[in-house]
Amino acid sequence: MSARRTLAITRRLLEQFRRDRRTLGLLFVAPVLILTLFYFLLRGGGGQPAMGVVNQDQGPLGAAVTQELLNSRSVQASEMDAPSAAARLRDGQLAGYVVLPSDFSAAARQGTIQPQIHVEGSEPGQSGAVIQATGAAVATAAGSLLRGTGVAAPTFSPSVTYLHGGPSLDSLDYFGGAFVGLVVFFLVFVVTCVAFLRERSQGTLERLMASPLRRSEIVIGYMLAFTILALVQALEVLVFSLAVLHVHNAGNVLLIFGIETLLVLVAVNLGIFLSTFARTEFQAVQFIPIVIVPQILLSGVILPVSSEPGWLQAISNVLPLTYAVNGLRAVMLKGADLTWPSVQLDAAVVAAFCVLALAGATATLRRQVA
Amino acid sequence: MSTDLAFAVEVDGVVKRFGRQLALDGVALRVRRGEVYGLLGPNGAGKTTLIRCLVGLVRPDAGTIHVLGHRLPNLGVLGRVGYMTQAAALYPDLSVAENLRFFAAISGADGSVDEALRFVDLEDRRSSVVSTLSGGMRTRVSLACALVHRPELLLLDEPTVGVDPQLRVQLWGRFRDMTANGTSIVVSSHVMDEAERCDRLGLIRFGRLLAEGSADELRRLAGSDRLEDAFLRLSEEVPA
Repeated sequence: MSARRTLAITRRLLEQFRRDRRTLGLLFVAPVLILTLFYFLLRGGGGQPAMGVVNQDQGPLGAAVTQELLNSRSVQASEMDAPSAAARLRDGQLAGYVVLPSDFSAAARQGTIQPQIHVEGSEPGQSGAVIQATGAAVATAAGSLLRGTGVAAPTFSPSVTYLHGGPSLDSLDYFGGAFVGLVVFFLVFVVTCVAFLRERSQGTLERLMASPLRRSEIVIGYMLAFTILALVQALEVLVFSLAVLHVHNAGNVLLIFGIETLLVLVAVNLGIFLSTFARTEFQAVQFIPIVIVPQILLSGVILPVSSEPGWLQAISNVLPLTYAVNGLRAVMLKGADLTWPSVQLDAAVVAAFCVLALAGATATLRRQVA
Repeated sequence: MSTDLAFAVEVDGVVKRFGRQLALDGVALRVRRGEVYGLLGPNGAGKTTLIRCLVGLVRPDAGTIHVLGHRLPNLGVLGRVGYMTQAAALYPDLSVAENLRFFAAISGADGSVDEALRFVDLEDRRSSVVSTLSGGMRTRVSLACALVHRPELLLLDEPTVGVDPQLRVQLWGRFRDMTANGTSIVVSSHVMDEAERCDRLGLIRFGRLLAEGSADELRRLAGSDRLEDAFLRLSEEVPA
């Protein structure tokens, strides 16, 4: 083995990297970017789940628990009456609310504390936070009220009702809805981007442009082919998730498929559009950490968009994946259908992104050839 | 808009700049129907840019181009033009016949895959995947793709680079068969042997057409016996 020959290889590679500024930039910028996003997502201090407190108690305990919850740092609590709490839960403004019944203090002296907790239920993390915060508030309030009275600490046994899903809803059910869309979006984007890049690099795009083909015919032809492939893939993902993995689904399977179709169309056109900005397949793969990973982090797949700091939410709100994930979750977890305004909005925004990406893809073809 | 039908190509005062570099500097030329017109010039002279102008891939900054009587840009007329790029631009994972069928379909004109295969002597390789073919075979497939839709004008950008002499002679025989059927051919080259086979030649250098005529006329013009010398002498007469 010759050190000189080995080092020649090492040196050549480093020289190549020096010329490929983009790869160098990626190596050093992408990790900082992704870690920063994680920082703001996990430690950004963005919103705690909003909860309502309905205090109907005649005794002192109700007022004490209410005060504890209003002071709580793990939830954002506010006092309201029962009908408006129920309405706001349905609107999605509240993650949950607790009703402290009129005999709350009296029952506590008998040894049981039974608040009624109503949670939205489609996000296990937020539901858990509401239940936990209520338990903590009750324990603190009861402890200080009963201290020195000789009454034994009452047992905390809340009755929890779920607007959507139920106590059996687990993390897979929560993530499942998003992953069904995400997996398809990601793979379709990469495959289209590389395929279109190959069309450029092997010179056949030049031949296409020298034929009577219109640019829109090229883009739509691509779109149809990859849509057919991607829809078969989407169907497979959906059947596997629902039938084999038993991911919770309360909604219409056709509607899920419809949202996925729109997302596929966005991915195909985004792939064609971005392929203009890569010279090699190597560079196309680099779009994954720069374009795809931030989208995954910011679209609410892992952590809800509402837990992000405000300026990050602004970015999340212009990403197509955010709306697709939101729509898919609404359908699968809440059984939403097309009559829901939120689903209409999600579908309309994803459709608008389709048109935008299609226009972008068509426009970049001109740029390449001029 | 139609102009003189005696010409397959009419180029007038075409200027094309890429950044600060002047690729075409007022080129004017005519290609008659049924002739082989050779664009001769060193690398970087503007031959490829001119050919790309003729298929609408490059839009001139100034000047006009008529192809088969239609003023460019005109998408429709491209269906009657065949274009063979320098490198064999094919789909490597498709078979020969699949490539041909595709290029016939996008040209929107009637085409016969079998006829094109016969033309380049590749009938026995019709179902071979392109990536398994030799370089010479790929060049032939590329040519077949350029003429599968029976174009009236065939543009060949250095078609015989990397092609062995035997195949080159064979391909030129085919080109002659086509012109006999009324097809016009524009071919770019820097190989003098090919230049001899053209009906007329245009010498291009620094984006300008320096001289035009048959090989004999150019030799006479330069007072030289060999076309190569004539070409060099005519190129030098014009200051850069």
